[in-house]
Amino acid sequence: MSQRKSYAVGTGMFIVLGFAALAYLATQTSSIANSHQGASYAVQTQFANVGQLKERAPVKVAGVRVGQVQSISLEPGKDVADVTLSIEKKYGQIPTDSVATIYTSGLLGDQYVGVQFGSAKTFVSDGGHLGLTRSATSLEDMLSKFVGAGGAADAIGGTFSVKADFTNVGALSVGAPVKMSGVAIGSVASIKADPTKLDAEVTLAIDKKFSQIPDDSSAAIFTSGLIGSQYVAIQPGGSPNSLKDGDQLVLTQSSMQLEDLIGKFLVNGSSSGANNAGGNGSSNTPAGKH
Amino acid sequence: MSAQTGRSNNVVMDSLAQIGHCGLFLLRILASVPRSMRYVRETVRQLWFVGAMSLTIIMTCGLFVGMVLGLQLYHVLAIFGGTSATGSVVALAIYRELGPVVTALLFAGRAGTSITAEIGLMRATDQIAAMEMMAVDPIAYVAAPRFLAGLIAMPLLCCVFCAMGVFGGHLVGVSWLGIDNGTFWSNMTATVDVWQDIVSGVVWKSAAFGAVIALIAVFQGYTTPPTSEGVAYATTRTVVASSIAILALDFVLTAFLM
Repeated sequence: MSQRKSYAVGTGMFIVLGFAALAYLATQTSSIANSHQGASYAVQTQFANVGQLKERAPVKVAGVRVGQVQSISLEPGKDVADVTLSIEKKYGQIPTDSVATIYTSGLLGDQYVGVQFGSAKTFVSDGGHLGLTRSATSLEDMLSKFVGAGGAADAIGGTFSVKADFTNVGALSVGAPVKMSGVAIGSVASIKADPTKLDAEVTLAIDKKFSQIPDDSSAAIFTSGLIGSQYVAIQPGGSPNSLKDGDQLVLTQSSMQLEDLIGKFLVNGSSSGANNAGGNGSSNTPAGKH
Repeated sequence: MSAQTGRSNNVVMDSLAQIGHCGLFLLRILASVPRSMRYVRETVRQLWFVGAMSLTIIMTCGLFVGMVLGLQLYHVLAIFGGTSATGSVVALAIYRELGPVVTALLFAGRAGTSITAEIGLMRATDQIAAMEMMAVDPIAYVAAPRFLAGLIAMPLLCCVFCAMGVFGGHLVGVSWLGIDNGTFWSNMTATVDVWQDIVSGVVWKSAAFGAVIALIAVFQGYTTPPTSEGVAYATTRTVVASSIAILALDFVLTAFLM
């Protein structure tokens, strides 16, 4: 009997230890607040580019989490992404002229929506709308502002497949996404080297829903984050005519080579007077002399 | 096997027959669970043997797995200047994958084999036949308590393993390699999701593994040929079959729970 009792006591201790370990894991090593969402209300926003923002990404005010991203969608025919934010009821007093901005945690971190309060006396209600937004800044945009490479773009073809010539496709691969405003609208169907023009001919397969893309839109090869995969971004133009199947995108911006950019910085910085920097391979030349 | 199932020596047919028998055996165990409640003391005793007695090996192994993860990840993450992420990567790797799988493999080796050998010897020494003679249902008295004990013990052992793993990662990362203590914990709490990682990753997964291991162990013991060779063979099969089942099930469960 005493033998049996010691089994029971030992087993009880084992069970208590197991549950204590579970409680420790749940409370000390995870954020319970992240998974629990109290009563909340929805706020609509529109962004020109959502970048890598994902559903369930946090919404923060002053860096403190107040809610999460409920949905991200792109309405056919529009070039802005609709983002619905789900914000907890207790943070109900957000002025209507507040600004929603997509930020990145650190250089490689996840993206989140930051809300900066405005000064309006009225507050956003459930289903309300935040009109002022600032989109995700893509690294290429920032770099191209520094470098002054405006990027060329051109006419896209219409409804199904569109061709675009790039002088350098970098690490772009077949099947890579084609994005507009940061939302995927198609994929890269093929990449071929053109034997006469000596550049890369990329065929983009775009969803038929998005048949109202202006024909003076441009295509650029961007990278997701610093070490992410590459994709083709379509930047809509202002032409009243839409792209048609088989059209050619004339204006394109090739993949940026980090080495080239750094080379240009170095050359521009060191030789402000002397214009001896060759257009191509400028970064290779000094290295080759050593 | 062929004698027992009355089938040919065809490997495929034999395996299918084995799986079919195992499934029917599971139904018999589940049907006898209400009856086995009369023998709840037996369940507690089995929980002691398979659970509490496995704590030493689980805690030691958890500690070392966490320590080696901390050491390896620190040096890999240092290449990208991201050593502060060590805590969250150690925790996620243990919760989502290593905790349930390593605990299950250890549990199959430590507890599964002893269940098979014990029931196999009961079968070989006609104790099971004697129970039937005395109108004691051996499924309710022998099989069900061990099955329930495995099902209950695995999630508890896995939680202990994970806690020890995080402690080991902390020991190496913070105490030896000098990652900031606050960074270690705050990165971990920021990335670990309590439902996604702990409840479905640790608890549900390990409960499923516990059920599979206990079922295989009890089934192999219960159907062993009543010879010393037969018991040895059944014990081996428990380890082999459980290991394969755990790793295959791990993929399927991960795909579902993700």
